[in-house]
Amino acid sequence: MKILTDIQLAAAIALTHMRSRLKQTIVATAGVTFGIMVFVFMVSFITGSNEYIRAIAFDQSPHLRLYNEVQTAPGTIIGKVMPNTVNMVDHVKPKDVLPGLKDGKHVVQTLALNPQVAAISGSINAQVFYRLGSSTINGVINGIEFDAENALFNLQSKLTDGSFKELSTMPNSVVMGVGLAKRLNVKTGDRLALTTENGNNFFVTVVGTFKTGMTDIDKQQSYANLNTVQRFLGVPAAYITDIKIKLHDMEPAPALSLELQQKYGFQGSDWKQDNAAILQGDILRSLIVYGVAVTILLVAGFGIFNILTMMIYEKMKDIAILKAMGFSDSDIRWIFLVQALIIGITGALLGLLFGFLCSWGISKIPYKSDVMITLDHLPVSFNAMYYITGFTFGIITTTLAGYLPSRKGSHVDPITILRG
Amino acid sequence: MNLITVKNVSKYFLQPTRMQVLNDISFEVEKSKFITITGKSGSGKSTLLYLLSTMDTRFEGSIRINQEEMLGRNNSWLADFRNHHIGFVFQFHYLLPEFTVLRNVMLPALKLRRYPVAEIEHRAMELLQLLGVGEQAHKRASLLSGGQQQRVAIARAMINEPLIIMGDEPTGNLDSYNSAAVFELFRKMSAEKGQTILMVTHDEDIARKSDQTIHLADGKIDEIMVR
Ligand SMILES: Nc1ncnc2c1ncn2[C@@H]1O[C@H](COP(=O)(O)OP(=O)(O)OP(=O)(O)O)[C@@H](O)[C@H]1O
Ligand SMILES: [Mg+2]
Repeated sequence: MKILTDIQLAAAIALTHMRSRLKQTIVATAGVTFGIMVFVFMVSFITGSNEYIRAIAFDQSPHLRLYNEVQTAPGTIIGKVMPNTVNMVDHVKPKDVLPGLKDGKHVVQTLALNPQVAAISGSINAQVFYRLGSSTINGVINGIEFDAENALFNLQSKLTDGSFKELSTMPNSVVMGVGLAKRLNVKTGDRLALTTENGNNFFVTVVGTFKTGMTDIDKQQSYANLNTVQRFLGVPAAYITDIKIKLHDMEPAPALSLELQQKYGFQGSDWKQDNAAILQGDILRSLIVYGVAVTILLVAGFGIFNILTMMIYEKMKDIAILKAMGFSDSDIRWIFLVQALIIGITGALLGLLFGFLCSWGISKIPYKSDVMITLDHLPVSFNAMYYITGFTFGIITTTLAGYLPSRKGSHVDPITILRG
Repeated sequence: MNLITVKNVSKYFLQPTRMQVLNDISFEVEKSKFITITGKSGSGKSTLLYLLSTMDTRFEGSIRINQEEMLGRNNSWLADFRNHHIGFVFQFHYLLPEFTVLRNVMLPALKLRRYPVAEIEHRAMELLQLLGVGEQAHKRASLLSGGQQQRVAIARAMINEPLIIMGDEPTGNLDSYNSAAVFELFRKMSAEKGQTILMVTHDEDIARKSDQTIHLADGKIDEIMVR
């Protein structure tokens, strides 16, 4: 009880001190405000951009992928036949195998029943040449079952023209990436030729165009019905090259990927591998944000340290008198600590407010990006966590900055000052 | 019963060289007396007073005030003891310049919390009026004249009705008129409220009018005059 009234009294004295040094107090508070504001603003804006980039990338990448890659056979046939002799075989060539997944369709059906799996799609990914007139462009054709693929990647939302419906109703139809369509100078309704790796030619009709925002995909890829692509490649109806999976919880993807690779003997990868560069960039950007914020807060903390140290030198006499009156060391410490806390709390709260206003303001600025089609304003992330972190940051720095001077103040020896 | 018992007190300063400032001091003070401490400059008067004020506890021997030993107490206990039992008046009045006169007087009582704030304010006002500076109550302390400030300092020393009021040459910085007036105020207080007064002074007149004078020479008690 006594301690409460003691702190209250210390606070009253602190306020009087601050009122008589209003200008310095305001400058110190403004320093904290600025630090917290920049922190909140930068975190919101940079995280907003990060999240947007992730959203685009992840939208296009499944949590887990299974596929086959043409590989050099491990060992040679002669090695198998005569294991106990030294065999030399030069220039071993990769086996000519189809990159199809063995039993792929069956695996898809089995995995669809797995409770971890949210959506699954088996598809064919094949290299083709798109030809129109004299121009030949190397690209990819994706044979999909629209409903399954749409459940994974929300294809419908990426359609810019035409429709996906006709893929299944109209023979030899494709939906083409906008970049690719532009390069070939075709639009919905146009026809062009397509050559497979084996050299077979087909005429296809463009029934729509799509845009994912990922330039690589938009410039190379088109979608066609699974059966259509199987017919182009001359493979049986069970043939697929890719299994793409979306999980309910994406965290265990790497572990599950390993498990499935071993179980079925496929190659695999997961979202963490596929987006390693983006994830790494996220970490670096966060480091920059925190680095800048910490620097600014250090400067602000130094401001508080300064004003309090100066105050204590000016107030030596007052401290001595207060001690003679019966104020204890800790009462004196509180007087200066309270000043630091008031500056810190006021500065931090104002910083949060201005930080929020800045973020809000910038989130209203129209921003057109050719890459990010769904973006019409600058991406800003609003998360209570940034505000809590910013506030805690501010209070910790100011308390630390106030602690040393206040300790110094509490150790002032009243006699040396009072004896004059 | 003695209010203050000083027994074999010695005090050394270690800086710049080890030097004995007080040498085996012993005396006793009864309640409600007016005591003066005199002696040549450098004889150790202030040093002794600050030991008695409990602000300095680095000494040898024993100082008991109101039956309590001061040696070896911790900081917060001593602060609390001062708050309750000791009022201090300095040579250079030393008010807190940013606070009003009234607030200066109230501070020790606000720390003590014996009475509610309104009651403290009322008492502070009464004291200021008694000391003739009632009209100045709401001014900032730094605006008062030297004599006025010293009266305010006396009011501040008395607000908690301490057992002892100490002063290190409290009249030393005042002209003879104010000096006499302040001395009279001290006198009146100790008579009315039964407070013990312990005052370091160079003023022969004041010393002669006190109940007891402790004369120091070279850190030793030269003589104690009881009147
Ligand atoms: N902090 C200190 N460190 C070293 N020596 C000190 C210290 N304080 C006082 N002294 C010395 O102790 C001696 C006594 O000092 P003190 O202030 O008690 O004298 P005084 O009797 O009050 O003198 P005056 O009448 O001038 O005020 C002096 O020689 C002084 O130099
Ligand atoms: Mg002295």
